[in-house]
Amino acid sequence: MFKELGDIRASGLKAFRDVQVDESNLLLWHGVIVPDNPPYNKGAFRIEINFPAEYPFKPPKIHFRTKIYHPNIDEKGQVCLPIISAENWKPATKTDQVIQALVALVNDPEPEHPLRADLAEEYIKDRKKFVKNAEEFTKKHSERRPPE
Amino acid sequence: MSSEECDSDMEYSDDDCCYADYYNTGDDCDIDHIDPSKIDPEFFIFECLSVEEVERLLNENVELLSSSLQITPSLAKVLLHNHGWAVQDLISKYRSDASLLLVQSRIKPPHPPSKTDGSSSHSSQSSLSSKDSLEDDENQKLCPVCVMLCSVDVFSSLACGHKFCKDCWTMHFEVQIIQGISTGMSCMAQQCNILAPEDFVLTLLNKPALRDKYQQFVFHDYVKSHPQLRFCPGPNCQVVIHAKELKAKRAVCTNCKTSFCFKCGMDYHAPTDCSTIKKWLTKCADDSETANYISAHTKDCPRCHICIEKNGGCNHMQCYSCKHEFCWMCLGDWKAHGSEYYECSRYKENPNIAHESVHAQAREALKKYLHYYERWENHSKSLKLEEQTLLTIKTRINQKVMNASGTWIDWQYLLDAAMLLAKCRYSLQYTYPYAYYMEPSSRKELFEYQQAQLEAEIENLSWKVERAETTDRGDLENQMDIAEKRRTTLLKDFLEV
Repeated sequence: MFKELGDIRASGLKAFRDVQVDESNLLLWHGVIVPDNPPYNKGAFRIEINFPAEYPFKPPKIHFRTKIYHPNIDEKGQVCLPIISAENWKPATKTDQVIQALVALVNDPEPEHPLRADLAEEYIKDRKKFVKNAEEFTKKHSERRPPE
Repeated sequence: MSSEECDSDMEYSDDDCCYADYYNTGDDCDIDHIDPSKIDPEFFIFECLSVEEVERLLNENVELLSSSLQITPSLAKVLLHNHGWAVQDLISKYRSDASLLLVQSRIKPPHPPSKTDGSSSHSSQSSLSSKDSLEDDENQKLCPVCVMLCSVDVFSSLACGHKFCKDCWTMHFEVQIIQGISTGMSCMAQQCNILAPEDFVLTLLNKPALRDKYQQFVFHDYVKSHPQLRFCPGPNCQVVIHAKELKAKRAVCTNCKTSFCFKCGMDYHAPTDCSTIKKWLTKCADDSETANYISAHTKDCPRCHICIEKNGGCNHMQCYSCKHEFCWMCLGDWKAHGSEYYECSRYKENPNIAHESVHAQAREALKKYLHYYERWENHSKSLKLEEQTLLTIKTRINQKVMNASGTWIDWQYLLDAAMLLAKCRYSLQYTYPYAYYMEPSSRKELFEYQQAQLEAEIENLSWKVERAETTDRGDLENQMDIAEKRRTTLLKDFLEV
């Protein structure tokens, strides 16, 4: 775990920053997703990564702490990410691969398997409206982006 | 025509009163050169196997495949499990393109593993780990999962060449088995789907409890993937049913007596097919709220309006108060039911429905569903009530025998009648989902005509069974014959398997 944390901090991922780990609970990480693509590139989104005791033999769980207007992330902050689903999980998967997959999903929503069907429909049928709503939502709810 | 049945009737003195035997007495038949499935549309050959017998059967296949292809039994099992245990098919596929078959079966990787580094697919994160000066000296190696330096001889890999340490493999398998996964366990590398064969797992798995569990799950998966094998759906029953043909026919477990459809594992449902009965049962479960109100057990007599509780299976009702005879289903006069104008089972569609409003169409759709559902549900209830009749008959027979009025054998025909009634009513119950999903056509008219005929004869039989002591034996047996003939006629014409 320490090694992975070190790797991630050292890797200098631009899209995932400010990684915090509670010294008393190494299995709970916090961090900020900083997307590149509109409509989310005006904000930053706080996430929480929960590692199970059996890690890496069971996948970590990811929750969004910041509200986000996204077809694959629901109102409770749950995210549908195939790489960390129980069926697809591989023990050799590294956390930075998980983060990369998550950032890719945030940047490019996958409306084919949505968590929020209403947003997915809007994304497919009326992209302009979706972008406008998502931008407004981001402005209202998201965190300030950390300096470069 | 009935002489054959009369013969078997006389010979019938089996102590377990299984009517399936009674009607499928193939061995006693004089005419044994005729295909029995032509005479009896429900004819089905199957056997009940114990776990050991199934293991023997599976092992024969495994040995056959592993010896003819010169592969390990463990790999043969992976191949068989992934290909529905079709040995000959696998042999020919292997002979035409072994490599393709092994790749498709997730045994061999599509590209041969690189020799330099076992964890070749980790190139994405090897930029991270290669910074470690610790990596790969002569005798030690970094395990990509636990990120610990281990001696090279504790590393192993599947055909894909992704090497991990022994402890990680063991832990991986343990976690998967606890989640109920066995034959589906695969390599730990990201994006690698190579399956772990049994011998590989068993050399690494050392906890006896988990080894047992693993073998149990593997056996379960093998039976499930085998087209000729079915677990008996009875509670806590270990029996596996084996049949050469995968058909929607009735299989009966010799151990727990559970009777079920061999194809889908649900309750036997002739003449309805597997997908239709599934649709129907789902629909019934979904619409149970709307259907609830009709499940009341009482109705008023159509003539004197006294409240009547139905306590027998027969739908031919006679009001205790005014002696009016009527049909429980449609509340019509019973006299009209006896004739060939018996139409209680038929649903009459409104011919102008296409021009009606959406509301009216929805109402009509519900009305149509309720018509079939009421009858389906009613026959199910009748079956339960007739089980009680059967018990009453048994006690009455005992009383009679004790009072020396006839021997036990003399009264067997009453039991036979009650059991035949159950068999016929069961088939009748399952004609309703069939009819519900039929498109209006002349075939549907024929079906509903035959269904009506069957229903009429069953109610006659039920009436006579409930009044068995006052009914002449010949009369009752004649009625049994008629009802069973109607049932087989309908199945012959409409049971498609």
